Amino acid sequence: MALDKLTGENSMLFIRSEQLFDFARRNSLWYIAFGIACCAIEGLMSASGPRFDFDRMGVFFRNSPRQADVMIVAGTVNKKMALTVKRLYDQMPEPKWVVAMGACASTGGPFREYPNVVLGVDKIIPVDVYIPGCPPRPESVQYAFIELQKKIARRTEERLAARTS
Amino acid sequence: MSDQCEETLGVGLLCEGQHDPGTPPAGLRRAPSGVDGLSTEHLIINMGPQHPSTHGVLRMIIEVDGEEVIASEVSVGYLHRGIEKLAEHRRYDAVGTLMDRGDYVSGIMGELAFALAAEQLMEVDVPRKAHWLRSLTSELNRLASHLVWYGTFGLDTGAMGQFLYAMREREALCDILEAITGQRMMFNYVRPGGVVADLPVGVEEKIRAFLATFPTYLGEYDQLLGGNEIFQARVKGIGVIDRDMALAFGLTGANLRAAGVDFDVRKARPYAAYPELDFEVPLGTVGDAWDRYTVRMGEMAQSARMIGQLIDGMPEGDHIAKVSKIIRPAAGEVYASVESSRGETGVHLVSDGTEHPYRMHYRGPSLYAVQALEELLPGHLLGDVVMLIGSTDVMLGEIDR
Amino acid sequence: MRPAPADIERAIVGLIDARVTEEPLGVVARVSLADVVEALEALKVAGYESLVDFDGTDTGELIELTYRLRSYALDLEVYVKAPVSYGGTIASIWHEYPSALMPERETAELFGLHLAGHPNPKRLLTTDGVAPLLRKDVLIRTVEEVRDR
Repeated sequence: MALDKLTGENSMLFIRSEQLFDFARRNSLWYIAFGIACCAIEGLMSASGPRFDFDRMGVFFRNSPRQADVMIVAGTVNKKMALTVKRLYDQMPEPKWVVAMGACASTGGPFREYPNVVLGVDKIIPVDVYIPGCPPRPESVQYAFIELQKKIARRTEERLAARTS
Repeated sequence: MSDQCEETLGVGLLCEGQHDPGTPPAGLRRAPSGVDGLSTEHLIINMGPQHPSTHGVLRMIIEVDGEEVIASEVSVGYLHRGIEKLAEHRRYDAVGTLMDRGDYVSGIMGELAFALAAEQLMEVDVPRKAHWLRSLTSELNRLASHLVWYGTFGLDTGAMGQFLYAMREREALCDILEAITGQRMMFNYVRPGGVVADLPVGVEEKIRAFLATFPTYLGEYDQLLGGNEIFQARVKGIGVIDRDMALAFGLTGANLRAAGVDFDVRKARPYAAYPELDFEVPLGTVGDAWDRYTVRMGEMAQSARMIGQLIDGMPEGDHIAKVSKIIRPAAGEVYASVESSRGETGVHLVSDGTEHPYRMHYRGPSLYAVQALEELLPGHLLGDVVMLIGSTDVMLGEIDR
Repeated sequence: MRPAPADIERAIVGLIDARVTEEPLGVVARVSLADVVEALEALKVAGYESLVDFDGTDTGELIELTYRLRSYALDLEVYVKAPVSYGGTIASIWHEYPSALMPERETAELFGLHLAGHPNPKRLLTTDGVAPLLRKDVLIRTVEEVRDR
């Protein structure tokens, strides 16, 4: 351990539990493998492919919502799909985050005029990060995860500030 | 497994002609039900719409007796977003954006089908170069699409390594397509009258560099997956769609050719630059999952061959005909179809002479493949269901539209 | 490729109101709704073994069904068209052409029609209560609705 070299053997590290947990959370953002449409090819498949390789950021896919922290809504949500999206979100354990990937998940995108399409997934579930684009490039999805990490870090600071004040 | 070509070559791509589908190992056979007075209760299993291996939002409701599927129902519509309806409210040059998002892994073919239909009504003289560019981007896109299929079909059968290689090759293709069209996936490149842009400087070298390595790699990829004994045991003789069933269910593309029917829209109803190209149509014999695998792998080799010919013989000239900014084709009704990565993508276009189509029907070949699944799955083991969905290469965007 | 209209006429001979024409679309046989099943059965006997496409068009007065048949052995294609009134009933042809199973469900649902003789006449793409979306009288969302989402 690098820390041992700095501080000597049998050293102890003091950290607030929220800080520790949030540190762990933001560096292991596991997303649920739930590709709806076109964005899934870019945001989920290319993401786990060799070029963009999200694994190195601790971003990895889980097949069950019960093991996932993040839901990437990658595609158009219609009225038939909405119930499933809501149910999957409810099945994810707290704390959980939602990334609305692409124009469709954010606002309805090119299909917004069709009466069967839900105008943005934020009508159903709360969204933390929106990614523009149709489809967004995998780099955009990486950026979204960096923003999400920042958001979690901010949350830690807010909670600590509330504790100490 | 005393297949001759398997003994000599051990790879599916090189294995041409007949092969014996063989019988599955004895251990996989279902025990006769009701042995010693024991009977199992039928169980209904729901797969999807969130399932890692249903290629999107396909939902299957499967009734099983032990491990054997006895009935299955396909439930689609989780991606129904009105491509046909919205096309009635878009101008002719903007419908391509919707068609891209139908079969989203091979968008060029959807655009091309619509453009061909519109051109029949417009009576426009498409330049020769536009035809060649359309074929070039189609074949590049077909490779990218088949690579996605190859990667995920391996995942469906339990292999992992080939997915990473397939995505690596696909990234190279995405770079080339991005250089030509400006987008990695949703191109909006083919318009009525031609294509949007000419080949940019330097892309030819990129394509040549890709072609220098790809055919060798393709053989290696085929060995990696198709040469794997476990994979062969899982796909050979499983999921037989014979000629009669394929025709009855309206299958097209690789699923139909795996059953030995020699029908490829590029050959039978030539469009774009295909009449001038030299290529073969790989055919299967019995129509099992292995045949569908070999046909698609063979198509990849042929696509690479065609890309070489297209680059070598690329003509000079305009890339788009003189088309007015607002296209108002003559009133009438036409049908155009192209060979997309999944089969015959057709567009039934009705025009009333205004700048919007009156009715645009989009025939997605995957819709016909999923309804064949309903018939195909009973009698197979539950573990093969995911493999069989993968072997038909369905794309939910064009099923639900 | 297109067959000779006379061959199609010969195949569906005996049907009332049957009319075979050659159009930009291809060779089209127009039959009445009651004769659709009979016409398709006759064409299947004539070698058109695969139903490749099935869809409807709302013409403003009625819905026009289009069946696209193909014979792989003869390499020929023929279209069969039949009119159906709003809210009418389509007789399923899945006995002859199983590929019609899902397209029939889709067309019936999106044009507000009923299915007769279909093994599974449920909705295919949308949930209960959604209007027949492909009908011309069902409008898409307006700019205001989308903007003030």
